[in-house]
Amino acid sequence: MTAAPADLAARKVTAGERLTRGDALALYRHAPTHELGRLADLVRARKHPDGIVTYIVDRNVNYTNVCVARCNFCAFYREVGAADGYVLGFDEIFAKIEETVALGGVQLLLQGGHNPDLPLRWYEDLFRAVKQRYPDFKLHALSPPEVIHLSRLSQLPVRTVLQRLIAAGMDSIPGGGAEILVDRVRRLLNCYSKASAAEWLGVMETAHELGLRTTATMMYGSVERPEERIEHLLRLRELQDRTGGFTAFITWSYQPPNTELGGSEATGVEYLRTLAIARLVLDNFDNLQASWVTQGGKIGQLSLAFGANDMGSVMIEENVVRAAGAAYCMDEVEITRNVEDAGFVARRRNMHYELLGEPFFRQHAVPRFTELDVAREEGDEHVPPELDRYPARSRAGKLRQQSR
Amino acid sequence: MPTLQEIGARLAGGEPLDSPDCEAVVASSDLLGLGALADDCRRRRQGDRVTFVRVQQIPADALDAPEVAVLPAARELRIAGPFPEGRDGVRSVERVVSAAGAIPVTGFALDDLVERNASDASAVADVLAALRDAGLAALAEARADRLSGPQWLAAAGDAGLKIARLTVGEPTAEDGGAALIRRVAGWGGALAHVHAFAPLPRNLPPQPTTGYRDLRQVALARLLVDNVGSIQVDWSLYGPKLAQVALIFGASDVDAVSAEDGGTLGARRAPLAEIERNIRASGLVPVERNGRFENVGT
Repeated sequence: MTAAPADLAARKVTAGERLTRGDALALYRHAPTHELGRLADLVRARKHPDGIVTYIVDRNVNYTNVCVARCNFCAFYREVGAADGYVLGFDEIFAKIEETVALGGVQLLLQGGHNPDLPLRWYEDLFRAVKQRYPDFKLHALSPPEVIHLSRLSQLPVRTVLQRLIAAGMDSIPGGGAEILVDRVRRLLNCYSKASAAEWLGVMETAHELGLRTTATMMYGSVERPEERIEHLLRLRELQDRTGGFTAFITWSYQPPNTELGGSEATGVEYLRTLAIARLVLDNFDNLQASWVTQGGKIGQLSLAFGANDMGSVMIEENVVRAAGAAYCMDEVEITRNVEDAGFVARRRNMHYELLGEPFFRQHAVPRFTELDVAREEGDEHVPPELDRYPARSRAGKLRQQSR
Repeated sequence: MPTLQEIGARLAGGEPLDSPDCEAVVASSDLLGLGALADDCRRRRQGDRVTFVRVQQIPADALDAPEVAVLPAARELRIAGPFPEGRDGVRSVERVVSAAGAIPVTGFALDDLVERNASDASAVADVLAALRDAGLAALAEARADRLSGPQWLAAAGDAGLKIARLTVGEPTAEDGGAALIRRVAGWGGALAHVHAFAPLPRNLPPQPTTGYRDLRQVALARLLVDNVGSIQVDWSLYGPKLAQVALIFGASDVDAVSAEDGGTLGARRAPLAEIERNIRASGLVPVERNGRFENVGT
């Protein structure tokens, strides 16, 4: 009797062989969830035999929610001129950095909307100001679509934009905006115009060539088919084969509340299966993060049995997922408790996955927090004074500047 | 000590777990291995079916309200809270049963009735008989950590009242949380009066349990407590994600699905659609039941 394709694929994983597209689909569709988890755990243990599970103390800062991209799965963005649109001031960002450092944090994950009133020079000035004040603090900043937006806005090639941002202090690039790297899906999600699949991959390839390390992500559960999730993983694997520039992969489910697209969220089992198949397909990625911020602490911890070796970020602040209704929070104490309860050793890391030591709270008195901070308090509509230094491109921005 | 694979092979051959097997599963830290074993065990009992019930709660202190409004989607009316003492309490139950029509009415906790009657077996039997005569379909729960022993389950059975679910009030760290499950497993034939065992604690501690611990409890419950038909998870208390994953770690019944309709969210986001979607997404088949554990699905 011939073995089923999923069984054959499972044998390949056990033997350490690379999965083909057909193998991956057979496993994703047909392998029992425990079996998928067991295989993913096997691969995780091969890559991380020390039993260490890492996490980073950092903060997700969204410098603006004003965005012209209009992705229909996004609950966070506001249109140009919207009353509740905001841009954070440099001083606000410095204050967030100081709070982050006090909690043992080493970087900001800095992302935001495609705001036409923020030119490349605004970013350069911000990065330089941060580095001047906090020379050792890292900026994990600007996902590929933001880089493309700046390229279009400044009419400069992506490579030049990246070189200028690196010169100003950008340390690494987060993998946001990947969604599903298949253009059929991107068109349906109205995110093709912000970056096609090839454009997203192109920014990452250029960044890797320039010596930056980046992460990669996948948002699943909107309009894509299982084959397209696998296609996404294969495209990442192919680029990683060529550059080796990705440090980690993170997947999360589309969060429907408050979005134009609507629909239902993929389930917990689907998350664990997707995480596990990612671990099996992405055989050239060392690190897979658990997305507790979208799945909650319990599923976040269970991710460690389904291929994840990293609990992601303590985060401190989060705005995008919160806009879609999820409000999970895990501070460093809680992350450590979950890691150790699952039988692993918890260690802090930086973006390059270099170990920084034991949990910070065991060496320093730090306050507990039970909910993640937000970019700004509700109702705070102040406009940072330094914005006047940068000529606005939008009509709303020009009117604002004329009135000041 | 036998391996999980050896235990699995014996279970597949129809053999029960012996004492070394039980020690081995309790000692195991292989969460996925335990889950797979419990899932096999539960599939041999129920196949790929998962039952669920849409519950309308009626607070016990609101039983005197002039009217009992029954939600059309309710498949169980559950009186939540302690039993109102005396004839008035029984009359209140009769009113709810009358309003419910064909929908089974459950209510009260067996351990609470025992405690209120100072463990006087005769007095407890009288209350149970009165509740049965009032039309109660089953006792809503019996908290295993508050029952002195299985004799009270037998007392309910003798009175003609089944216990819908054996629950756990407070989480316990003793024996890695397995001590209470082992104790329940030792209650033998008295468990025949229990429809389902819900092994996850209902009183959530300030520091929440973890996903690993919850799923381990569910798997151990299925593997060790073989005299109860279903291992149950609470949809509203534990949330869709954890509850759904528990369905592939040995659970086969979902309690406390809301009987409210989808409201402004529409039919596709209504509780019925959500529970069915989650069960199917875990590779299982949803079957709706009522408060008597009778299938009512189409």
